Amino acid sequence: MVAHKQMDHEEAANDRVMFGFWVYLMTDLLMFAVLFAVYAVLKDSTAGGPAGRDLFRLPLALQETLLLLTSSFTCGLGMIAARQGNKRQVLGWFGATFILGLAFLSLELIEFAEIIHEGYTWQTSAFLSAFFSLVGTHGLHITFGLLWMAITLWFVVKRGLTNNMVRKLALLSLFWHFLDIVWIFIFTIVYLGAFV
Amino acid sequence: MSKLPEHNMPKGDHGATRSYVVGFILSLIFTAIPYYLVVNKALSSSVLLIVILAIAVIQMLIQIFFFLHLGRGPKPLYNIFFFAGTVATILVVVGGSVFIMNNLHHMVPAEAAKKLIEKEGIYQINGEKTGACQGVHSNHKVTIKNDIVTPVYIEARLCDTLTFINEDEKSREMTFGSHPRHASYGGESELAVRKGRSKTVTLNELGTHQFHDHLDPGVAGSFTVIE
Repeated sequence: MVAHKQMDHEEAANDRVMFGFWVYLMTDLLMFAVLFAVYAVLKDSTAGGPAGRDLFRLPLALQETLLLLTSSFTCGLGMIAARQGNKRQVLGWFGATFILGLAFLSLELIEFAEIIHEGYTWQTSAFLSAFFSLVGTHGLHITFGLLWMAITLWFVVKRGLTNNMVRKLALLSLFWHFLDIVWIFIFTIVYLGAFV
Repeated sequence: MSKLPEHNMPKGDHGATRSYVVGFILSLIFTAIPYYLVVNKALSSSVLLIVILAIAVIQMLIQIFFFLHLGRGPKPLYNIFFFAGTVATILVVVGGSVFIMNNLHHMVPAEAAKKLIEKEGIYQINGEKTGACQGVHSNHKVTIKNDIVTPVYIEARLCDTLTFINEDEKSREMTFGSHPRHASYGGESELAVRKGRSKTVTLNELGTHQFHDHLDPGVAGSFTVIE
């Protein structure tokens, strides 16, 4: 009975933490929404420079999408393993998530480098300013997520799957799924939209 | 709470795995469809845009349902309300911005747009040349000192610039045309030049034009702009 009460208490605390993090995600979503609005308004303001269809490569964008989508999936499986208390599986699935996320980030940086190498930067036009702001902000989130994941996994290795750790992983996976959802809109509006 | 015994495991575990697998497969399908449509230009532009946006929203709902498990189970109702509020705000901000900016683009009267283009020296809008001046051209200086204009006559080429430099201890209102019949030039009807300051105008109208100080019509000169 006492143990039961303790669980309830812990569950309530978990719920509060989850809700707090959810509120953060929603405000982050608002920020992305504003960046999307800016992009939608400025995407034709190329100031004589290149437009999206001259710069973007759809196969590359598709690869990035598949990498992030798959990482979101492995992250979910890692979460199931965490709830079951299976440490080896947690490390395996989240490790895969980390590698897929790193691959995604590398492709994105390669794409940025190619565009800049062709002589176009965020200073070239309002369109490119908006593009780099929107996609770069997402990339920064991914970078931060990867750091967070690396640190959390390190703690899982050191301390094992405590309740506290499972909660941290749950927040991390929420963050990761969220970034995947934002990316769907970047893929659709920025990349596919440029070729419509 | 290390490993839960097999029989005590939450019933949903197999269901949870299945939910992720189903969500993943659906997500792949809803990524492939818009990609295929866009690459093959399967629909006309305006329809295609609406279709891929709709698919993105479906994709989002799939992931929210199958990955975030929002709306499954009785508990996280407040999360849904908060999410709905956020979506409403986003619709207002994004939808409103796009709507207003498109309207602005289509509905600014041509005359007002032309004036603005001349004034701001905008030489391109959405990839179309406006005819306004661009690039580097020479600059001509008219210095006003002790109420004397030097030089009083300037010959310039189209798109050159003309700078009025006021070296006297009083403000001037440089106006075009002859006093008191004022005319506007290059989108400017009057250039207020404070003491010790200067003002520049782009010479984007051909022909001979006069200028003078509205406050002191004796201070005057003229310029001719040729092609």
